[in-house]
Amino acid sequence: MNMASAFRELLRSGPGFGGASLMALLLTAALYVLLAFPLDFGESQWSNPVIWVDNPKAVPPAWTNPLRQDARPLHRVFEGAEPQTVQTARSGPVHSWRFPFTYASSHPPTFLAVTLADVNYAERPPLVLISLKRPDGKQLRIYRHTVRGPREDENGPFLRYAETPLRVQLSTDEATVTAAQNFLAEEFDLRLDGGQIGGRVDRILFGVPAGSADDAFAPLTGDYEIIIQAALREEGDSVGKVRFVVGGGVFGLMGTDSLGRDLARGLLFGLPVALFIGVIAALMSTAIGTSLGIASGYLGGRADIAIQRFSDIVANVPVLPLLIFMLFIIGPSLWMIIVILVAFGWSGLTIQVRSMVLHMRANQLIEAIQSLGASRRRVMFRHILPQITPYVLAQLIFAAPSAILAEAGLSFLGLGDPSIPTWGQILETGFRTGGIYVGYWWWIVPPGLCIVLTALTFMLLALGIEPIVNPRLRQPAS
Amino acid sequence: MTSLLDVRDLTFHYADRAGPVRAVDNVSFSLASGGSALGLVGESGSGKSSLALAIMRMLPTNVARYDGEVWLDGQELLGMAENRFRQEIRWRKLALVPQGAQNGFNPVLRVGEQIIEPLVVSGAAGKREARARAQELLAYVGLPADVYLRYPHELSGGMKQRAMIAAALILEPPVVIMDEPTSALDASVQTQITNLLKRLKQDMNLAIIFITHDIALASDLCDDLAVVYAGEIVEIGSAEQVLLHPSHPYTQRLLASIPRLHSDTLPQFIPGAPPDLREPPAGCRFHPRCPLVFEPCAQKSPPAFEPADGQMARCWLIEDGSG
Amino acid sequence: MSLLRPLLVRSLTMVGVFFVVLLMLVLTLGLTGFSDRILSATIGEQLRAERTALAETIRDPDEMEKVLEKRREELEIFYGLSTPWYYRLPRTALRVLTLDLGEARTLRSFDGSNRVFDIVTERVPNSMLLLTTSLIITATIGIIAGAYLATRQGSWLDRFVSGFAAVSFAVPTWWIGILLILILSIQLRILPSGGMYSTPPPTQPLPRFFDLVAHALLPVITLVLVSFGPSIYSIRTITLNIAQEDHVKIARAKGLPESRVRLRHILRVAAPPIVTGLMFGLAGSLSGSILVETVFNWQGMGRLYYDALAGTPDENVIVALTFIFTLMYVVIRIVLEALYVFLDPRVRYTD
Ligand SMILES: Nc1ncnc2c1ncn2[C@@H]1O[C@H](COP(=O)(O)OP(=O)(O)OP(=O)(O)O)[C@@H](O)[C@H]1O
Ligand code: SF4
Ligand SMILES: [Mg+2]
Repeated sequence: MNMASAFRELLRSGPGFGGASLMALLLTAALYVLLAFPLDFGESQWSNPVIWVDNPKAVPPAWTNPLRQDARPLHRVFEGAEPQTVQTARSGPVHSWRFPFTYASSHPPTFLAVTLADVNYAERPPLVLISLKRPDGKQLRIYRHTVRGPREDENGPFLRYAETPLRVQLSTDEATVTAAQNFLAEEFDLRLDGGQIGGRVDRILFGVPAGSADDAFAPLTGDYEIIIQAALREEGDSVGKVRFVVGGGVFGLMGTDSLGRDLARGLLFGLPVALFIGVIAALMSTAIGTSLGIASGYLGGRADIAIQRFSDIVANVPVLPLLIFMLFIIGPSLWMIIVILVAFGWSGLTIQVRSMVLHMRANQLIEAIQSLGASRRRVMFRHILPQITPYVLAQLIFAAPSAILAEAGLSFLGLGDPSIPTWGQILETGFRTGGIYVGYWWWIVPPGLCIVLTALTFMLLALGIEPIVNPRLRQPAS
Repeated sequence: MTSLLDVRDLTFHYADRAGPVRAVDNVSFSLASGGSALGLVGESGSGKSSLALAIMRMLPTNVARYDGEVWLDGQELLGMAENRFRQEIRWRKLALVPQGAQNGFNPVLRVGEQIIEPLVVSGAAGKREARARAQELLAYVGLPADVYLRYPHELSGGMKQRAMIAAALILEPPVVIMDEPTSALDASVQTQITNLLKRLKQDMNLAIIFITHDIALASDLCDDLAVVYAGEIVEIGSAEQVLLHPSHPYTQRLLASIPRLHSDTLPQFIPGAPPDLREPPAGCRFHPRCPLVFEPCAQKSPPAFEPADGQMARCWLIEDGSG
Repeated sequence: MSLLRPLLVRSLTMVGVFFVVLLMLVLTLGLTGFSDRILSATIGEQLRAERTALAETIRDPDEMEKVLEKRREELEIFYGLSTPWYYRLPRTALRVLTLDLGEARTLRSFDGSNRVFDIVTERVPNSMLLLTTSLIITATIGIIAGAYLATRQGSWLDRFVSGFAAVSFAVPTWWIGILLILILSIQLRILPSGGMYSTPPPTQPLPRFFDLVAHALLPVITLVLVSFGPSIYSIRTITLNIAQEDHVKIARAKGLPESRVRLRHILRVAAPPIVTGLMFGLAGSLSGSILVETVFNWQGMGRLYYDALAGTPDENVIVALTFIFTLMYVVIRIVLEALYVFLDPRVRYTD
């Protein structure tokens, strides 16, 4: 049977069609990831906290909002480079950025943070002011910062916050707390001390005092505006980048973990990794298993006995404890995981291939060919290999999901390769940091589903291929 | 005269994806009394085993058609309630030594236990009593007593065959069907078993239905012979009649195909292949292979003619020849 | 007729497995230099301790260094660090074989012992409890439902179960455990999310028992959930094949009641292959329970792995666990082999 017709037959069977279409989907997604993500995504991004600071921590995906009774605030990031307006004041030019937005959630933002980068000045440092304009018309200054001045032995022009931008978490910033305190006192005649305000700055800024209790606040929805002003001293001074984050209670497609990492990106990157593990481990163990099986069955004699005994033992080794042990000793690396999985994964196939080869050797045709003077090698490669290839192919696909599951399990035990994020590792952090006990389902469910889906794709493909390559399973066609 | 076993118009078709398999079609025959053997002879695939199963009501799941009558000792079996049939007929009145009795034993239970099982389960005898009876039978079929405690895999094929015969006799049924009891055995064991059956028939006043594809073997043991072709009995009569005066062309061909020791004539093979029972030939089912075929053969199915007293054959030639 | 000889023959592979694992342990420890590193660390620690002790008596730093250097040499000989690992480790292996497993760094047994032997062995019953309970439940469900399904071959239920079994192979057991915690203990608050007893544990035996059952419920459900599909499916297939064998037809022809046919002539014959299935599934079940124990903080050997790996890893415990785990596996396998030989007369020899 040629490949094309075999493929058509595969698509005709239910599991075969399902597996093939899922596989096409997964491969497309994996290809996208390979093109869109840096190869060192794990080190340069995933385990780099700087990338994720401005994300809310451990919040569910944005699409959960419509399912809730009270929607959580969306995550908003406002960035500006070129100033929107340039005025000239007495002190010098004033660059300003205005970020209007509508706030509809009954929850306050999870945090407010501002980031400044690439500040340039010739002589005297600029002053940055941030105000919040609220729907009730009130406006307050929530932040004020003078860029660090020249050091003694330093000469202008001065560049500040270039390598490490200045990031301030306003929600916990003392100045902001004071600003909120004053705001309450002036506008609402409500006097609270710092302790009562601490940790609730967002609630105060985005709400109005409500009810009898001094510290109760009702959310204030409507149109807000963030106004960032940079008071510069001279023409040519500039603030290269401003960024204001109104921390959301939901984030992106898949939410975030407790470090604020975008789970969607982690999950996406896990796909090519999982496919790679499955395919490489399966390929290698199938190659070893098949060659040893052929050798065993074809050579016979002592070699056969030795290979048989050995594979019998390897096939019966309880692999997980050994895997844990060896990874622990050798150190967790993806290649090591694959190598060990292969080292213990080839034996089942060897036993099966051997018995197939024995069966074929008994076949008269092979004997006849041999008696015609064909070399052993030739017989092996021209006549035996082609016959067992389809079967081996099915086994190859069967072997992939178990490698994927094994890697996931090891990662879950904390033995994953730290430089490459995998689904198992995402689950592991979710578990180890206790995310499961506080119900962070978006951190726990999707990676598992990804594992299941990928493993299932291989399973379905194998189930679809099996009856094609294994005529015994075919229903008697009549 | 009422006979011991009377099979009338028994029909049994398997359901197959391509349509019904007419493995048993309108089969009628009778066994007069105990102490005699009827041989059912036919090529492989002619429906002999199916006929045995149909008589025993051992139906597979894919039955397309199953009707007719089987009278045993004045009772009709096919219409009998399953429970009553199981308790009163199975093994008690009608036992079977299956084709390939090698596989008739449960591999993980001792042989003796399996022999006495129906006796003990029905409560007719205690275990000790049953064991004594079984050991008697084992001795009778020529097996050492320790077979009782052995497992099936510890017996040779011939021993298993004998043990199966002993098992079939444990409830002393009047009728035993033996489906090719000797075909998997070598010639000397075959003869031993045939001799055993001959003895049995006499000693126990047993009616044996002996199924075989070997007409020579059947002729040695059986008092009556029925020739089965493509799901039908095409000729039936006493062994003498069938062997010496075969009136159906198929029987004649079958006899001619037996290799003879002291003869110059070479055995003749029947040309062509046995028909596919899914679509048996119209009219006489033998007509595509029959050397004597003439007009009516392909048109109408020949009914049962009586070429001689007690002999029956389904062939249009007989209508012509004998009126 | 002897049961012993076939059992010995069949257990040979297991003995081989045992020694291969031991060999792997030794080789990994030796070839990676891990054993050397551990020993030098131990010696270093001991020297530091002795230095503080000696500081009382020896004031001269040069002399101190000399004494300590001598002491180091002694210690290196004592611990065998002066000989290459391939001489030393076989002796270590021998020591491990006699269950002399050393001491743990930080982990302690429930009553405070730091002997690795105590720490590991007190976990064995807990692991066994989880494993055997779930295996028995899975097997029971498998046998009952499998035997039933065999009579309904091709029905929608039959097809559903085979699909379900295929899916089960693609699902990580531990993830199901996490999901169950998320749903049943966090969302619905029906069952405890982990541990073996409430804190404080009930003291009366009966409440204590029920407390244990309540805590065991989720891990057992998890293990059963992922394994009962394949179990039903394989037992269904086994019984289906046996039900088509001639001896079953004969049993029916013998007029035996259907229940007896099912029990003695189908299920009884299915028993050996079912045990074989258990044997092949054992390694998987063990791995499954390592991870499930971790998820549910079940104080068995699996959870001990997790604890020994976390933070500063406890090497001795990990080595001992791997060893004892393999030992346990080999013992269970041999018990199953014995069961098989007992159930299937065909593998027995006649004298
Ligand atoms: N369970 C079944 N389902 C469908 N067809 C069947 C079944 N069992 C037998 N047949 C068909 O019925 C026909 C008769 O089979 P049967 O076993 O009765 O023949 P037989 O005369 O006993 O042959 P043999 O001498 O080889 O035993 C054959 O064509 C066979 O293929
Ligand atoms: S009926 Fe015709 S075809 Fe059939 S056997 Fe007689 S002669 Fe031959
Ligand atoms: Mg037959």
